[in-house]
Amino acid sequence: MKKKLVHLTVNEEYHELYISPRKLLVEILRDELDLTGTKRGCSTGSCGACTILLDGAAVKSCSVLAVQVDGAKVTTVEGLADGAGLTPLQLSFLDHGAFQCGFCTSGMLMSATAFLNEDPVSEDIKKGIQGNICRCTGYNSILRAIRAVAEGKYEDEGR
Amino acid sequence: MKKHTYTVINTPIHNIDGIAKITGRAEYTFDITLPRMLHGKILRSPYPHGEIIHIDTSKAERLKGVKAVLTGKDTLGRKQGIWRRFKELCDEEILARDKVRYIGEPVATVAAVDEDTAEEALDLIEVEYNALPGAFEPLEAIKEGAPQLHEHAERNINVTRHIEWGDVDEGFKKADYVREDWFRCSSQAHVCMETHCAVADYTPEGKLTVYTSTQSHYYIKVLLAEILGLRENDVRVISRYTGGGFGSKFELDSAQFCCSILSMKLCQPVKIVLTREEEFSATKRRTPMFYYIRSGVKKDGAFLAKEARVFTEGGAYTAMGATALYLTGFFQSFPYVWPSYRYDGYRVYTNTAPTSAMRGFGAPQATFCAETQIDLIADELGIDPIDIRRKNAMYPGYEVPGQATIQSCGLGQCLDKIDDWIKSRGKLPPNRGIGVSAYGFMSGGIFNWFDTPYAFSSAVLQINIDGKVDLFVGSQDMGQGSNTTMAMICAEELGVKVEDIRLHMGDTETCPVDLGAWGSRETLMQGNAVKMAASKAKQQILEFATAKLAPNIVYDLDIKDGWIHLIARPERGLSFYDVVKEAIRGKDGQPIIARGHYTPHRKGMISPAYSFGVQAIEADVNPDTGKITLKNCVTAHDCGQVINPLGVEGQLEGAIAMAAGYGFTEDLPMDEGKILNPNLVDYMLLRATEMPETKVMEVETYEPEGPFGAKEAGEGLTNPTAGALGNAVFHATGISIKNLPITPEKVLNALKEKKNK
Amino acid sequence: MSYQCPVCEKIWPDTMELARHVFGVGDQTHKDWVNSKGVNFIELLLIQTMEPGNKGYKTLAEILERDAKKVEES
Ligand code: FES
Ligand code: FES
Ligand SMILES: [Zn+2]
Repeated sequence: MKKKLVHLTVNEEYHELYISPRKLLVEILRDELDLTGTKRGCSTGSCGACTILLDGAAVKSCSVLAVQVDGAKVTTVEGLADGAGLTPLQLSFLDHGAFQCGFCTSGMLMSATAFLNEDPVSEDIKKGIQGNICRCTGYNSILRAIRAVAEGKYEDEGR
Repeated sequence: MKKHTYTVINTPIHNIDGIAKITGRAEYTFDITLPRMLHGKILRSPYPHGEIIHIDTSKAERLKGVKAVLTGKDTLGRKQGIWRRFKELCDEEILARDKVRYIGEPVATVAAVDEDTAEEALDLIEVEYNALPGAFEPLEAIKEGAPQLHEHAERNINVTRHIEWGDVDEGFKKADYVREDWFRCSSQAHVCMETHCAVADYTPEGKLTVYTSTQSHYYIKVLLAEILGLRENDVRVISRYTGGGFGSKFELDSAQFCCSILSMKLCQPVKIVLTREEEFSATKRRTPMFYYIRSGVKKDGAFLAKEARVFTEGGAYTAMGATALYLTGFFQSFPYVWPSYRYDGYRVYTNTAPTSAMRGFGAPQATFCAETQIDLIADELGIDPIDIRRKNAMYPGYEVPGQATIQSCGLGQCLDKIDDWIKSRGKLPPNRGIGVSAYGFMSGGIFNWFDTPYAFSSAVLQINIDGKVDLFVGSQDMGQGSNTTMAMICAEELGVKVEDIRLHMGDTETCPVDLGAWGSRETLMQGNAVKMAASKAKQQILEFATAKLAPNIVYDLDIKDGWIHLIARPERGLSFYDVVKEAIRGKDGQPIIARGHYTPHRKGMISPAYSFGVQAIEADVNPDTGKITLKNCVTAHDCGQVINPLGVEGQLEGAIAMAAGYGFTEDLPMDEGKILNPNLVDYMLLRATEMPETKVMEVETYEPEGPFGAKEAGEGLTNPTAGALGNAVFHATGISIKNLPITPEKVLNALKEKKNK
Repeated sequence: MSYQCPVCEKIWPDTMELARHVFGVGDQTHKDWVNSKGVNFIELLLIQTMEPGNKGYKTLAEILERDAKKVEES
């Protein structure tokens, strides 16, 4: 199949890529750009491990073709904070033990980040991560971590 | 009980792998790419039972980009199994040569330049089978004339188990009330978010390196060496981060084996990642069990005699099923004093995916049945569910005849706490109920079925010139947090900070042997080894410090927070870091090195120590739809001394999600050996929206056998939930469902039946 | 009237109880006795275990009714 040119800004870096039109966004991120922080738990859009921000919205990167998002702005877990920094949400995840094996964590962080950007006061944090499966934690520590940030407990933190 | 003051233990410390995991830096096997790496795929049997007549790989080999196609004929044809001590239980070839016994059994494997090409090649492999009739249920498989899976196993009986103490016949004669019940416990998939995967890298000097997602690098190394005909230490297994295990990742699997043989053939790295569908349909799973239980009690609820029979659906191979069969029998009596008990378990081969270890290891099934029946007995006799449990609860010092000695046991306090919580709930609205379940679990098994010649756990520790401690452990962190636990135990014993510890794990080449993360063994067994190593290193340092401080001979020294001091006069002391520098000079420039190890000796038949707890679940049952909604889940838990409070809380909540799934949503329905829901849409595990409020109340005891008094806090927590859930339904509606999972359909049917009566 | 176990001679008030005993002990000699009666011990146990209704016990009780020694109450 003929390769196509795709323009993507990933974590504020601009890329021009020649790729097969069959490639999923998650494959491009992981295999072409070495951003392996984004995981894959199913490839059928059911687990959320591959969640990234696409122009600010949480999207499962296994459910879109890279060519479909030509010109878009993508943020992955690697782009959440600069250098040695951590976002308030990441700090809160540490404090609350909101991960165990860590395989779902990138996706959780991205869904939660989108949720907090959009609707930080909503009671319904659960809905914000409904699309993400975590087999380890039973979700409640993740919910506590997100809630702490939503309630402003980390306002002055984050490096 | 002694009150201890700790500086590290039981303080909320960040997981030492945390930064790596929340920034996406943690490199899982799934993320590994090596230079010249190829991608592998596995062709699997579409038949539940059949002979392989012929495999033609020529078309696949000719496909552009394909590097190798291998079948069972290209292997040494050795059978393997994890119960190495018993040859006939080593019954699995992994790549079948002559016969397939379940749908999904590997028959060929391909390496190609990319996954798509490898996938395409699978379609070009032609396999001619002679399909054989299958046996799918224990009841069919055991009948005379049923299709036989293995030559050595008549009537497909794989393993049997008998446990007995006391005079059961007499016990029943004395009973005022005898109750019989039948239960069916379903299967369950582990659903690790990282599917089974491995990268094998064989080099011409004869060394094989395998990166893999595993719970025990040591087991995988030994099993691979054996089946590949390599020397044990020419195989190196590396597993830095593991994306979940839950019991599914300590046996040799098809990804590990197939990429190894492909790499050995090609002398090029090969990676295999199982798809989610393969993960569901072709990896091992929780053992379905059919239980018959008969219990005899006094009018006042005192337990007298219990008899349990179980048949388990074994699937095609032994796997860890032999252990599950034993543990389910033992934990069927737990955590109670049964003056007499008799158990017979049979594991039957069937033409289904093999069943094996899964978090709780046979105990969740047993606990569901036992706790459901206890509530029915209590109801019949008009006794409060908490009271009947309290009356028969195990206590410190109790000896399970011929099986185990219970040292620490906080079950009584757990019952009190749950009792208080239930009372605090007051009167419940209609269609709501609270159910309880008591439970317990082992802290690591003691039976050496793997036949290891090594200590069960070992640790090595080296202190460097800057005071940084290199701690080498064999334990495996699959998410449960053992890395942090080990660093904490080491820091506490040595009197330094967790930041002073640099932990090395997940590599058979640099780490000492530990049997791995299963059976809730790490905190106690690896923890004891770490504590011993740290204590020996501390001794060396204190010798130098004593020489320097020259205290009165009757004084002794300790280290806390990097300060070496006289215990009686804490202000008199020296910096740990300074003393280390001098001590190394004094040792002719050698770092301080110490080793520790642990193997249970004379600790009964099961485990050196047991955890205990009681869980209460409050749930609503919708009488029109049968739908169950979890409201609250409260657990009082005795895991001895808590080491890492964040870790224990996480284990508890995670266990609730998984075990509640087992109780009412998760199942693996099959049709003639074919799993019907091998994907995350149809397999329904709990989402965030379905989680109840969870609360944990720690009951602290001191376990003399554990490091700092600690015992397990990982698997036992999976045991109570299905039973507590079932009992909540019983108290809400008066119906008792004895067939897992408790689906809306079953609830509705039972409600209808009750109405018609 | 009571019934005597044909293997170990323990006395039981009825054949259901005796059947429970035979299955319960389940050692080789009890197993062999059952198997010698044209049924299969494990198969009966399996039927008993897998479905409610005590079918396995009932089948064995019928055999015992016929073949076990009856003794007068002492
Ligand atoms: S990998 Fe994208 S949702 Fe599972
Ligand atoms: S932390 Fe393991 S799946 Fe979420
Ligand atoms: Zn007898």
